[in-house]
Amino acid sequence: MSGGGEHGSGFVPRRFVIGQFATADALLAGTRKVREAGNKGVDTHTPYPLHGLEDALGLGRPKIPTLVLLGAIAGACIAYAMIYYMNVIDFPINVANRPPHSPPTNLPITFELAVLLGGTTSFFGFFALAGLPKPYHPIFEAEFFTRASIDGFFLSVEVPAGGSVEKVEADVKGAGAVEIQTVAESER
Amino acid sequence: MAAPHPVISSDPLDPRPLIEGKQTDQTINDSLLEHVWRGAGKGWWALFGIALSALGLLVISISYTLYKGIGSWGNNIPVGWAFGIINFVWWIGIGHAGTLISAILLLLQQKWRTSINRFAEAMTLFAVICALLFPLLHTGRPWFAAYWLMPYPSVQGIWPQFKSPLTWDVFAVSTYFTISLLFWFLGLVPDLAALRDSSKSPTKRFIYGIFALGWRGSGRHWAEYKWSYVLLAGLSTPLVLSVHTIVSFDFATSVLPGWHTTIFPPYFVAGAVFSGFAMVVTWIIPAREFLGLKHVVTAKHIEMMCKVMLATGMIVTYGYVMEHFIAWYSGDPYEFAQFFLVRQRGPMSRIYWLMVFCNCVVPQIFWTKRGRTNLPVVWIAAILINVGMWCERFNIIVTSLHRDFLPSKWENYAPTWVDISLFIGTIGLFSTLFLLFLKFVPAVAVTEVKELRHELEHAGHGAGGENHA
Repeated sequence: MSGGGEHGSGFVPRRFVIGQFATADALLAGTRKVREAGNKGVDTHTPYPLHGLEDALGLGRPKIPTLVLLGAIAGACIAYAMIYYMNVIDFPINVANRPPHSPPTNLPITFELAVLLGGTTSFFGFFALAGLPKPYHPIFEAEFFTRASIDGFFLSVEVPAGGSVEKVEADVKGAGAVEIQTVAESER
Repeated sequence: MAAPHPVISSDPLDPRPLIEGKQTDQTINDSLLEHVWRGAGKGWWALFGIALSALGLLVISISYTLYKGIGSWGNNIPVGWAFGIINFVWWIGIGHAGTLISAILLLLQQKWRTSINRFAEAMTLFAVICALLFPLLHTGRPWFAAYWLMPYPSVQGIWPQFKSPLTWDVFAVSTYFTISLLFWFLGLVPDLAALRDSSKSPTKRFIYGIFALGWRGSGRHWAEYKWSYVLLAGLSTPLVLSVHTIVSFDFATSVLPGWHTTIFPPYFVAGAVFSGFAMVVTWIIPAREFLGLKHVVTAKHIEMMCKVMLATGMIVTYGYVMEHFIAWYSGDPYEFAQFFLVRQRGPMSRIYWLMVFCNCVVPQIFWTKRGRTNLPVVWIAAILINVGMWCERFNIIVTSLHRDFLPSKWENYAPTWVDISLFIGTIGLFSTLFLLFLKFVPAVAVTEVKELRHELEHAGHGAGGENHA
């Protein structure tokens, strides 16, 4: 059954070649090599973020900062507009003859909502960009992959549909991986 | 992998380590997760039993308050705010150390924060939960609280008063809680994955797996994660200042002698950090002993926290001095009477002098290295500071209210058993939550300590030519 999928259901399992590297530096160098060999879908898996990872993976600018800025601006605008609408347009209340629109007293809530929306954007934006939560990923099929959150430095390459596993395996090995496993998505 | 540096210190001028002994990612992982896998010991159950009994007291006193109404509290007129608000301000203040450690010290790249941030952030969450109970109960009918607090189109057809600091408080505290929770959980996700992957039993693996959300340490994820984390820290940083500033506005924007002062915002924030660090120290000294965290929470960490307590304690002392100076300098007879007669010689003067002793005198022992490194002394001092900060809020709130402008309005105040039980009960709630946290979640940010170890080791090798002794 395992590694199957030839039952006419149209399920094509995604395949990954996973290589473990001895050190963080070896992983960074290896990642570059594997990418230069023309592989797409390269990713690293490490217990903590490594310096220079973005470079090695050839990632562009992170998207989170822009999203958070937009979230914070939206929060500030919503807060100010809300206070203005409620206290000036919808139901002005005259307390001790203070003006209905009083900017200084609007600042604290404007600030707080900017922080609230900026912060929630940062949190939920990250999970949305990362595609998490995702309880199952084919990569978890590899037994040695449990080290990735503990002390192991891993590289994974998705084998393109119809591509050759051997070629990718050779690339990962050539990049300095000490151990290699190839996994296929299980059909559920 | 090259042999790890025997002693890992962040500072070439200071040889004392942030992480003790020869450590690898594996040893850090195992030693920091060990207390989660180990069964709960007798000591944990004993403490948990005490905490649960205090929590029971909270349930009883809340039920009684809801059944009888807040007339069962000791509040009267003019002392309309008493234990409820004292405890609210005290608990919110305690939370501030967590945010300071996790956010401000992260932005300032203070490496010593890494071993204690998880611990302190959890404390923030639980302290804010305790704090939130009080204003909700003080409304008398908490099930109506949303009517009065939240701006939504209710049948009343009227909106909250946005010119009132009490409305600002609703937004400040709820934002504070939400952001602290998200920040805490975001930091926890990689550690939950480590728990998932190191667990021996399939049930635990499954449960931690759910909370780990399928984290696989992907480099693409880390690239965004780092930004998400640092931006949450950046957003929390002004929260440290704004939350207690807004709490202090609740008092400072009124005209009561003892409240009507511009020094309140900075002095409240410093007091909050002061009491928060005291609470962190109160818990971490026993916890590092019993959870086996001595190699990551070293003598240096305790010493750094003592220095923060000394600095914030001095700011608080300066605040007291300034209040008295302005009371004299302004020539306002009511202010003068409040600070020089009522507080120092009035019926509540014992609490005033206890506050002066705990907040101004006790931290002075932290000037000496011996005072900062003797753990029993530090622990007792931290507890006294917690007491002192509670007394400070009592002085500000009750002592100011019970003697205001008109002598015919003066009234004494005494708490009832409900007040005292509610207070003890929230300590029980806090302790229960905290003990559960220590049992089920790594008390130290494992991933960040591994990263710190990696970073320090690399720095050590890089600078090896220059400062290797």
